[in-house]
Amino acid sequence: MLTIKDLHARVEEKTILKGLNLTVNPGEVHAIMGPNGAGKSTLGYVMSGRDGYELESGSIELNGEDLMELDVEERAQKGLFLAFQYPVEIPGVSNMEFMKESVNAMRKARGEEALTAAEFLKVAKEACKQVNLPLDFLKRGVNEGFSGGEKKRNEIMQMILLQPSLAILDESDSGLDIDALKVVANGVNSQRDGKRSFIVVTHYQRLLDFIEPDFVHILSDGKIVKSGGPELAKEVEATGYAWLGKPEEAGA
Amino acid sequence: MSDWLAQVIDRADAVSDALTPQRQGALAVLKAQQWPTRRTEAWRYTSLHPLEDMTLPALAADTPAVPDVAGLDSIDLVFVNGALQGSLPTFPEGLTVGGLTDSAMQAVATDVFGSVKPREHLFGLVNDVLATDGVVIDVAPGAQIKPALRIVNLVTAGAEAHHRILVRVGDGAKVTVIEHGAGAGTSVNTAFAEYKIGDKAALEHYRFALHGGEAIHMGGAHFSLGDEAKLDSTLVGFGSQLSRLDYDLVHDGQHAFAKFNAVYLLGAGEHFDLHSNVEHAMPNGTTEENVRTIVGDRARAVFNGRIHIHRDAQKTLAELNNRNLLLSRGGQINTKPELVIYADDVQCAHGATVAEIDDKALYYMRSRGIDREQALVMLNFGFIQELVNEIPNEALSNWLQPLLRERFSGMQVRP
Ligand SMILES: Nc1ncnc2c1ncn2[C@@H]1O[C@H](COP(=O)(O)OP(=O)(O)OP(=O)(O)O)[C@@H](O)[C@H]1O
Ligand SMILES: [Mg+2]
Repeated sequence: MLTIKDLHARVEEKTILKGLNLTVNPGEVHAIMGPNGAGKSTLGYVMSGRDGYELESGSIELNGEDLMELDVEERAQKGLFLAFQYPVEIPGVSNMEFMKESVNAMRKARGEEALTAAEFLKVAKEACKQVNLPLDFLKRGVNEGFSGGEKKRNEIMQMILLQPSLAILDESDSGLDIDALKVVANGVNSQRDGKRSFIVVTHYQRLLDFIEPDFVHILSDGKIVKSGGPELAKEVEATGYAWLGKPEEAGA
Repeated sequence: MSDWLAQVIDRADAVSDALTPQRQGALAVLKAQQWPTRRTEAWRYTSLHPLEDMTLPALAADTPAVPDVAGLDSIDLVFVNGALQGSLPTFPEGLTVGGLTDSAMQAVATDVFGSVKPREHLFGLVNDVLATDGVVIDVAPGAQIKPALRIVNLVTAGAEAHHRILVRVGDGAKVTVIEHGAGAGTSVNTAFAEYKIGDKAALEHYRFALHGGEAIHMGGAHFSLGDEAKLDSTLVGFGSQLSRLDYDLVHDGQHAFAKFNAVYLLGAGEHFDLHSNVEHAMPNGTTEENVRTIVGDRARAVFNGRIHIHRDAQKTLAELNNRNLLLSRGGQINTKPELVIYADDVQCAHGATVAEIDDKALYYMRSRGIDREQALVMLNFGFIQELVNEIPNEALSNWLQPLLRERFSGMQVRP
């Protein structure tokens, strides 16, 4: 499903990813952990095609297609979803309108009829309930004035509505209370159907108690330096990252 | 003096009708006017070269379509190149309407003509001396007029048209007036409206200046508010080769409330200049003014927002908020606040910002599968949504939304 080969990528002249390899098969859940600044979010941005995140070498293939050849929206339409570490506020655009446009854009790309406002309202209400957000969050501006935890739930709600084939969750568990954590985990678990895959970026093994990963990877200084099963997350929780040593100064 | 103004003055001498005494005063002022250059403060960012260089083509024979607003309860008066189409409809009790120079309307016409619009607006003076077409509206004291009065002012290629609206809203009366202007052919059009709003009277006012292309549109709307009068005014403007509007909101009475929301959306090489002037001459008045512009392509938006609080206008509350969104590198926005405050016990706030499209928001939307073009339409619409939501008339709001969206989808961003 996803094949990343020897990925080197930079942000504004600074090389962040330095030879990253990762293969994700259909139905798998991969957890990525690693110290602050290691390049975890950068990986998500490069994959989704954010401006300013440049590929230096290597390749990313999703379902056999070269992602780097596609626009941001095309990647999303091909089934890639990134739950942002810092979801963006868009005052003036209602959450409802935003998600309706988004769902219908995906449908259009698949050659399906757009949902009517009434049809969409029905599924949106369902999704809203599923992530435990009051319905008036549909009317508010996208993420506008949402608390940290509410923003994360809103990301999960979008994931539920869009049903991506590969979802990257960038610290969707950070800043969440235990109930919210379960909401996020349930959101993911409800989507696991043996075909959809997930990359879960997290700092805490706690989330992985609820979302059982197939693999855990440690990303450090732009590379995956260690991979293992769920036990690796427990090890990290216990011992931290001191064993990695100090990362070299990038680009020096 | 320009050739253009010289020929206006020549023609003005030939105009002779019931308003001639009023026109004479304006003509004297006009004759003493300097033709504005870019050094003239009120025309600093708006060049009149397009007008000076214009040669009108032969008059187009087509009659433009009258815009249909679904569900709008209105009485329509349609003017094409200044001339009223058909005859006057019948009006509900309390509403008297006639042509600009109808003898039956003469008392109202002479009462309002030139009494609200200040004489400093050059094209207002041109309109004073040349406008023989137009409409006079008298709302009887206490009358609550349900249907909106919609005045549609269409201009075709090759036309030069001067149109005037004079409105007197009697004490305690209530009325809605919609001024709808459109036309994109090479043409020159002046359209000025004066509203005298009586004590405790309420005016809901709209001006849709939906011109385009090579049209030159010079216009204004001028309001005088009596004691406890209420004005709710909305302006929506599309630019054209040269569009300039002057608004004057004058608190002539105490405890008056004026709200003015303006949105203008420019693309291509369009130019739209709005000068608004709020005069708080009496105490306890409130003004809320919100102006939003979106500029794409090589368009230019000019806004000059003046608030003048006179010495006696204590306890005035005046707020002017101006937000601008610049979509393209080739676009320009010139915005200038002007606060002149002589009273000491007032609350007056003025803010102007110029923003660019939020790249993060654009990326976020695209990452959800929404294509760039559509994301931009949504962001643009979001920028003015607040003001669209405040439009009190639902039919107008429903009609406007797709029109605005369509407008955005054609705009170029950061070419
Ligand atoms: N625009 C930028 N210009 C320069 N450096 C940048 C830019 N954006 C990110 N970086 C750097 O790239 C490195 C990787 O950042 P990234 O956000 O991918 O880390 P992360 O692994 O997600 O960290 P965290 O766990 O704190 O979220 C950091 O050192 C960061 O400072
Ligand atoms: Mg991060």
